[in-house]
Amino acid sequence: MFPTPIEKRSRAAQISYQAFLPVVLIIWLLPLVAVAVFSMKPDADFTNGNYWGLPSSFELFNNYGKVFFESNMPRYLLNSLLITIPTVIGAVALSCMAGFALGVYRFKGNLLIFFMFIAGNFVPFQILMVPVRDLTIDLNLYDTKTGLVLFHVAFQTGFCTLFMRNFIRALPFPLIEAARVEGISEWRIFLYVVLPLMKPALAALAVLIFTFIWNDYFWAVVLTQGPDAQPVTAGITEFNSQYRAAYHLMSAGSIVAALPPVAMFFLMQKHFIAGLTLGAVK
Amino acid sequence: MEAALLGIVTIVVGVGGCLAYFYFSNQFLDHVLFPAKGANAGRNINRANQIRPWLFLFPAIFALSLYLAYPVVATLWYSVTDRSQGGAFVGFANYAQMMDEPKFWEAMRNNMLWLIIVPAASTAFGLLAAQLTDRIKWGSIAKSLIFMPMAISFVGAAVIFKLIYDTRPVDQAQIGVMNAVWLQFEGGIGSLLILRLLPALLMLCGAAAGVYVIIGQVTAIREKGGVLVRGLAILVLAWIVFSLLSLALGAVTAVHPYGEPQTWLTIPGWNSFLLMIVLIWIQTGFAMVILSAALRGIPEETIEAAIVDGANPFQVFFKIKLPQISGTIVVVWTTITLTVLKVFDIVFAMTNGQWETQVLANYMFDKLFRANDWGVGSAAAMVIMLLVSPILVWNVYNARKEMR
Repeated sequence: MFPTPIEKRSRAAQISYQAFLPVVLIIWLLPLVAVAVFSMKPDADFTNGNYWGLPSSFELFNNYGKVFFESNMPRYLLNSLLITIPTVIGAVALSCMAGFALGVYRFKGNLLIFFMFIAGNFVPFQILMVPVRDLTIDLNLYDTKTGLVLFHVAFQTGFCTLFMRNFIRALPFPLIEAARVEGISEWRIFLYVVLPLMKPALAALAVLIFTFIWNDYFWAVVLTQGPDAQPVTAGITEFNSQYRAAYHLMSAGSIVAALPPVAMFFLMQKHFIAGLTLGAVK
Repeated sequence: MEAALLGIVTIVVGVGGCLAYFYFSNQFLDHVLFPAKGANAGRNINRANQIRPWLFLFPAIFALSLYLAYPVVATLWYSVTDRSQGGAFVGFANYAQMMDEPKFWEAMRNNMLWLIIVPAASTAFGLLAAQLTDRIKWGSIAKSLIFMPMAISFVGAAVIFKLIYDTRPVDQAQIGVMNAVWLQFEGGIGSLLILRLLPALLMLCGAAAGVYVIIGQVTAIREKGGVLVRGLAILVLAWIVFSLLSLALGAVTAVHPYGEPQTWLTIPGWNSFLLMIVLIWIQTGFAMVILSAALRGIPEETIEAAIVDGANPFQVFFKIKLPQISGTIVVVWTTITLTVLKVFDIVFAMTNGQWETQVLANYMFDKLFRANDWGVGSAAAMVIMLLVSPILVWNVYNARKEMR
């Protein structure tokens, strides 16, 4: 077997390898570790210059409590949730239907539309900024969560449809044929035959889109302002300018802002990676 | 709480709307418009089946044309008009004005640097990580940890790295990790080893690898021809080798201001690299995951055969494994390239393009929102589009080839 499992190598090679990797890993994660440690320190440690030593007192609950109860953070988090979840549901629902049409039916223009979806996938989002902003203002949706959700749904639908179409193409087609022969109507085939088979793709796509939307910053800045509608990515910069000198609070805020997608990632790692792989290979 | 309730209502209405649209449009088609009974039953079924795909496609296409197709055309139009003159057509005046600005060329130069360095570094690190973690028991844990930054937003990462690069006055303790480490160097033997010899050695290794590839290309020209493409590759490689050598020389001879905390983000030249590190930190995990899946997909027999023939581990890796995953490497590379072309959040949150770190996306944002110059901003957006289009065309072309 190759590569030789490290267990079969010489003792010295094994030890150095096993020791080398954790060191590299710690350096890799040093930024996160530093921020995590900062977020547990009391204010006094920062005025005394005790940045790198042990915390003089353990202020985890105090710092995070302040973030949660004395700032706009909970509001930003709620906004993020209210923007992300409808977007995920909307984009996945739309793309299921479009992907089904492109994957199952043969009709004139099928390929052309498919290529348009591919092309749309590569359009840099900056190019959309001014018209989309104008459109949102015209629709009276500027600085609302709805405006942001509508745009995100539309923009993500391109990628999602491609993803779904490729997945549906790989499904066993005879299954659909058999259902047709049985005289089952098309919408039932979609709901009861194809949709259950798409569960893994749905999960992967949902996790992927969740992190994409949660982490979006550009559109949050372009289409919203102020804590009424802005998601947490925009909120964190606001928060940081508000607590400019309070490093313990800034760190706690950063951790809070990053936590949901990271937690999502660890809980749904399998789906996340499956989504990335499926999305990248095609 | 009201907002949460509103959100739930929106979701229910949205999903319900989707389902209702889906159900009723199909019912309408099957039972009202072209019912599958009566005199024309057969023809009606065919007709209904021709229309049905468009029922499924309609919502997606409507959304995309409203929020994607129309804005692209509109931006193209903005880039050749002037809003201050009431939207009059001005031809290429906006582009000409943009070309005259040094800030634009600075953004272009920086973007090119980002384009070369970030995908290369992320893919190389990702490949290394995939290869190294595949061989140990707790490799999957290591992988999730390396991959974790991918889940953090660019802004979140930028905020975190801002703390890392932070500076305090000379007489205070340093809060930024970079400066805390920097102050450990005092010009002694340790500094000599780490700040001069190590980077110089790395650069020399890179240069040696470049020379090796050049020699390979030269022999390939002798044996197989292809002077034009290979000659171009050799020229580019020679330039890279040359710059690596001069960098190595620079690392040995540079004068370092030991003991003074540096404001890292304001040092032109270096600060761009410090910003790139943030993106590399995020994208390496992505490259690693995809490449690790590809590495596992390589058939064992090919590797066994190579070992039986007496190949050493380096040969196995570079001559057997790499060629077999070259397709995946290209995919990873282009995906990261696309991300790089659109990079905005990191620069915006960390330096906002000051101190010579401007990139195109941020330049555009600056023009639109600060200078309120819609024409030039749109022209900059078109430049980004132009840079993306080769990848776009190449992808559509590949998809077509796959169809046949």
